Amino acid sequence: MSELLTGLSLAEARAKLGAREVSAQELTDAHIDAIKSASALNAFVVETADRARADAARSDERLAKGEGGILEGIPIAIKDLFCTEGIASTAGSHILKGFRPPYESTITASMWQEGAVMLGKTNMDEFAMGSSNETSYYGSVLNPWRQTGNNRDLVPGGSSGGSAAAVAAELCLGATGTDTGGSIRQPAAFTGIVGVKPTYGRCSRWGVVAFASSLDQAGPMTRTVQDSAIMLRAMAGHDQKDSTCVDVAVPDYEAALERSVKGLRIGIPAEYRVDGMPQDISDLWDQGITWLEEAGAEVVQVSLPHTKYALPAYYIVASAEASSNLARYDGVRYGLRDDRDDLTEMYEATRASGFGAEVKRRVLMGTYVLSAGYYDAYYLQAQKVRTLIADDFRKAWDSVDALLTPTTPGAAFGLGEKSDDPIAMYLNDVLTVPANMAGLPAISVPAGLSSQGLPLGLQIIGRAFDEETVFQLGRALERAAAFDRRPTPWWRDRA
Amino acid sequence: VVGHALHHREDVVTEGDFQDAVLGNAPDSADGYFVVPKVIE
Repeated sequence: MSELLTGLSLAEARAKLGAREVSAQELTDAHIDAIKSASALNAFVVETADRARADAARSDERLAKGEGGILEGIPIAIKDLFCTEGIASTAGSHILKGFRPPYESTITASMWQEGAVMLGKTNMDEFAMGSSNETSYYGSVLNPWRQTGNNRDLVPGGSSGGSAAAVAAELCLGATGTDTGGSIRQPAAFTGIVGVKPTYGRCSRWGVVAFASSLDQAGPMTRTVQDSAIMLRAMAGHDQKDSTCVDVAVPDYEAALERSVKGLRIGIPAEYRVDGMPQDISDLWDQGITWLEEAGAEVVQVSLPHTKYALPAYYIVASAEASSNLARYDGVRYGLRDDRDDLTEMYEATRASGFGAEVKRRVLMGTYVLSAGYYDAYYLQAQKVRTLIADDFRKAWDSVDALLTPTTPGAAFGLGEKSDDPIAMYLNDVLTVPANMAGLPAISVPAGLSSQGLPLGLQIIGRAFDEETVFQLGRALERAAAFDRRPTPWWRDRA
Repeated sequence: VVGHALHHREDVVTEGDFQDAVLGNAPDSADGYFVVPKVIE
């Protein structure tokens, strides 16, 4: 019974809750049990079973009266980057040791308002810096998927790796993620689930620990496109506490899902066919083109000439913003303090012991590109490149309605395989970073398996604030791909 | 990033007066202040 409950989609669970075929408490208990049996994945850093049961009881009362919000009674996991009132929020970092926020992030507050049940906080790369979830202070997360006939542990992608693993292993019906350069879409692709990065400004960033403020955007991670459409509606909306959060109406994304894609023009950007792209990725891309053509869309070749500069410019902009944002961790107001007799020594010791190697690397890079002698050569130059990248997309929208690309240049890799080579790790983001640089909405949809039996994703990028077309095309890909494979639950034997 | 102008609001205090919550996470505090190592000889 409980496995049947955790295997439901969010939309199916919503229907059963509404019809009183299952209670929110039964649904929640099934997920609490599933989380307990999946400790080997290390997907959660905090489990909030008591809170979840209380949430579920409240939801059952509302549902019994025929009331309830968009996510009433739905068990959800929250990336540990979101501040949750009274519940430890660490951003995967030692430096936020013991931090219990006295406030709730706008997005999570809105989800609780809509009736969601909180299962816990999910593991992540430290301060969302990483593409494999190996930089977390709380240890690596394991991908629920394994290669065919091989028991080697694989990474789930990052930085929202705990959220991705939790959704893929059916430990929750949906999870929040954040995406600065691909941190929702890349782990979604690696774990065979759906991940959506909304338009910059669609969701409030208030109460979400800042990495790179002009790139960060939160979004849903679920097992179906419809589930993401439901969840995003509960997350999105104007917020006065985030001046970059835009005051535009939130559409009913679900209503867009079953619209025909007939007549939509889909661009295939030539520059995304990167050097050394594996055959199975390029085959899947061609398959995606055929699927959309068969559904009635018109496929057009387009050029985004500045694509190759996106990744280097991204690592300058993101690191610069990170070095500035992370200056607040000084051992005075919250988190870790490494006590010394001298104030400056205390700052230094606290930051030296509190930050991990990857975070230090980015703070150093960011400080360097912002330093007086190099500001023009690096940071200013990267900002100009960013404008050119956004212009590439703007020109493309004259001839197409959305773009189709692979999400990642490869499938999930082994634990430790790329951790010694930062550039190889950064290359994971090459196909996802441009959408962040331009602030555009994008979705990753699981579309097939690699030659070694691992999930691969296709990405749709849309116009700013046109998540509806992104969902519509995502649903068309999902329907055509009919991806229904699930990982074998090997982790239950390791509990 | 996406071409929207920022909102303006009146220059007034929107919230405050929760000293305990602000100090609650500090590694060290006393008399309503954050405490740091001595900086004046």
